[in-house]
Amino acid sequence: MKAAIVNDSHLLKEVSKKLIAALREKGVNEDIIFDIHVGFEEALRNAMIHGNRSNPGKKVLIEMEMDDNKVVIYVEDEGGGFDHGNLPDPTLDENLLKEGGRGVYLIRHLMDEVRYENGGRKIIMVKYFNRERL
Amino acid sequence: MRIKQNEVNGISVYRVNGDIDIKTSPEVKKSFDDDIKLKQEKIVVNLKDVGYVDSSGLATLVEILKNMRAYGGRLKLTNLSAKVKGLFEITKLDKLFDIFGEEDEALASF
Repeated sequence: MKAAIVNDSHLLKEVSKKLIAALREKGVNEDIIFDIHVGFEEALRNAMIHGNRSNPGKKVLIEMEMDDNKVVIYVEDEGGGFDHGNLPDPTLDENLLKEGGRGVYLIRHLMDEVRYENGGRKIIMVKYFNRERL
Repeated sequence: MRIKQNEVNGISVYRVNGDIDIKTSPEVKKSFDDDIKLKQEKIVVNLKDVGYVDSSGLATLVEILKNMRAYGGRLKLTNLSAKVKGLFEITKLDKLFDIFGEEDEALASF
């Protein structure tokens, strides 16, 4: 599955629904689907709102590869990139009441592998279907 | 997304049905506005029928909690599914919120 969608957060749910349907069709465990659901929507939301800064003229590129063992998801925005290593830790006591960084934190904890390319514009996430988190 | 609100012994109880995410968060926040304006001191939010929460949903619940704390109000969450509760644990928000297994326990805890 490959798509380029305009920067509209309402489309986020539409694309997400297609991904979940494909995972269910594959017979993936619902707990695993939940993790992928959160990880994918957080990445897409970050790309649209933080990467593309909600600019309706910009697009987000999405690509998914699925086999019997895993799904690999690529999400790339057209923004200025970001330093993923320089985000505040949202779980520190002083940050619990603040909003920033929770989406990226969830992605890191729910997906099995996460890496960034192209100056932080592109996130690549892997989730395995049949193994405990490493 | 449906939110039903009623009062039990002076405690405002919200039962949320549906996802709390980027799409529904504004509606969820708005549904608490009247209670916040009236400085309702005791609120219970039953999440039994919430199957999915994202970071904007978590942020919305944190904002409601912050608004209530500003006037000394207390917010309790109940009936979280294992997966939704897991999100609170991963983000350490379980340290911020009072979370109960059942609505009755939350009501009795005030």
